[in-house]
Amino acid sequence: MFEARLTKGELIKKVIEALKDLVTEANFDISATGIQLQAMDSSHVSLCALQMKAEGFDHFRCDRSMPLGINLSSMSKVLKCCNKDDIVTLKAEDDGDSINFMFESKDQDKISDFELKLMDIDSEHFGIPDTDYKATVTMSASEFTRICNDLSILGETVAISVGKDGVRFSVSGEMGTGNMTVRDNTSSDTKEADRVEIDMEEPVNLNFALRYLKSFAKAAPLTDRVSLCLSRDVPLLVKYEIPEFGSLSYYLAPKIDDES
Amino acid sequence: MELVPSAPLSSGPLQSPLLDGVDYAATEYMLGIDEAGRGPVLGPLVYGCAFCPVSQEPRLRKMGFMDSKVLTEEKRDALWAAMQDRGTNGFLGWDIAVISAEEISKQMLSTNRRSLNALSFDAAIGLIRAVLERGVHVTQVFVDTVGDAAVYQERLERLFPQCAITVAPKADSKYPIVSAASICAKVPRDELTRAWQFVEAGGSLDRAYGSGYPADEETKAWLARSCDPVFGLPRFARFSWSTTQQLLKERAVAVAWPDDEEGGPSQSKMGAYFHKPGDKRATTARHRLFKRSKLHLVKELR
Repeated sequence: MFEARLTKGELIKKVIEALKDLVTEANFDISATGIQLQAMDSSHVSLCALQMKAEGFDHFRCDRSMPLGINLSSMSKVLKCCNKDDIVTLKAEDDGDSINFMFESKDQDKISDFELKLMDIDSEHFGIPDTDYKATVTMSASEFTRICNDLSILGETVAISVGKDGVRFSVSGEMGTGNMTVRDNTSSDTKEADRVEIDMEEPVNLNFALRYLKSFAKAAPLTDRVSLCLSRDVPLLVKYEIPEFGSLSYYLAPKIDDES
Repeated sequence: MELVPSAPLSSGPLQSPLLDGVDYAATEYMLGIDEAGRGPVLGPLVYGCAFCPVSQEPRLRKMGFMDSKVLTEEKRDALWAAMQDRGTNGFLGWDIAVISAEEISKQMLSTNRRSLNALSFDAAIGLIRAVLERGVHVTQVFVDTVGDAAVYQERLERLFPQCAITVAPKADSKYPIVSAASICAKVPRDELTRAWQFVEAGGSLDRAYGSGYPADEETKAWLARSCDPVFGLPRFARFSWSTTQQLLKERAVAVAWPDDEEGGPSQSKMGAYFHKPGDKRATTARHRLFKRSKLHLVKELR
């Protein structure tokens, strides 16, 4: 059987909120080391990879590795019933057809449990090649969210270019154009949350659909920091590391100029 | 405008012959115009025109020309048959204009949209002009109303100042010459519709389309079963009708028009970068022809 208990139950809720816009249903692959999920959005432009380590849970038991196929919008509805400080326990029998959610309030005066039907989801994992990214930008997750939301007012596509001056996000649309440049500030004594670290081997300039970046940015409540990893001709990696728990990574295929 | 039927009329030509012994220029003629098939979502719109010497009007009454909708089908067919007769043609001539459903769709949905009324005006004007050009001395014209009678009348008066024009609602029940015209419209229209030769779907479409009116259950059912998800409806249907547009929206696959999309870089797919384990696909770059024509792999065959 599978059983996992998390005192900070809110994390599960936030993870699902960060996935459900892109993925409608997915397999949660349960194993002794933790929970993994890999899924593409319906148009096969982006890929989400979730890792929740067994150690990140207060209690984790998994006797047999198995996929739990879950409809994420249903799961999100169930998790709406989970309060901010609730302790969440997930349970599934080895050959069962449902997953059980239990929410306990902090002082144990309220317990709710829900059962969600599992689904058979046909999914094959993509091998994600190890990439030596030419440019990595680590910055405040909420600042990245803000950039994506602000720029999407002007257009659909953002050009992200990392150069020696910093990282520039540019958009051009019918209304006009917009640029936002973020500079490396590790040398100054900025607060840790606002720090921008740019690690660049060579300049990179790629185009991406803002629509997806905005969906990725829904993961910002999970953690303070986000990393953007870029290399020519490979998908952008937007990674949210959740300390002592795991990570949520998004890959986004670039938009390609046919002329080039 | 093309005024050709998309199916052959078994009864012959689209106009009566002018007879040798008759001096069409010497006598004053009256001309009537009526239409059939304005409302249906299927089939052509047919305009009929009939002309006879003004003095011969009582003879038409005697023959039984009345509103074609009041006459029985047998009576209409008999009158139509009589109009094919050379003896009758001696005093009663006729001409037909067929606006196919395809033409209606094309005109009503073109960039320079034309309303059905505009098409009707053109058909009527074309018929009057054709008769005049054949040398028939027309002095009176009677037309059943389309749209605003006064506007229509004024337009015709401007175009044909030599004729006294009467545009009136229900003209087919008031003037026998318009009744004759309505027979010229109604009978061929029914025949064209009944014997429609489908070129689509390899001739597999049936003809149980009922009256062709959008509210007819039989017509609705026929439209629903004749709608191909990819090819849509046969050209027998009028695509400018909301019934057809709604049906295509519901039953047919939506079309994405690449030209409507914003220009600039095109979105690549994840499959181009990450591969499933055991995926033996060649990793060489796709030929630029595919890239340039924006062709994407939809499905992988294994």
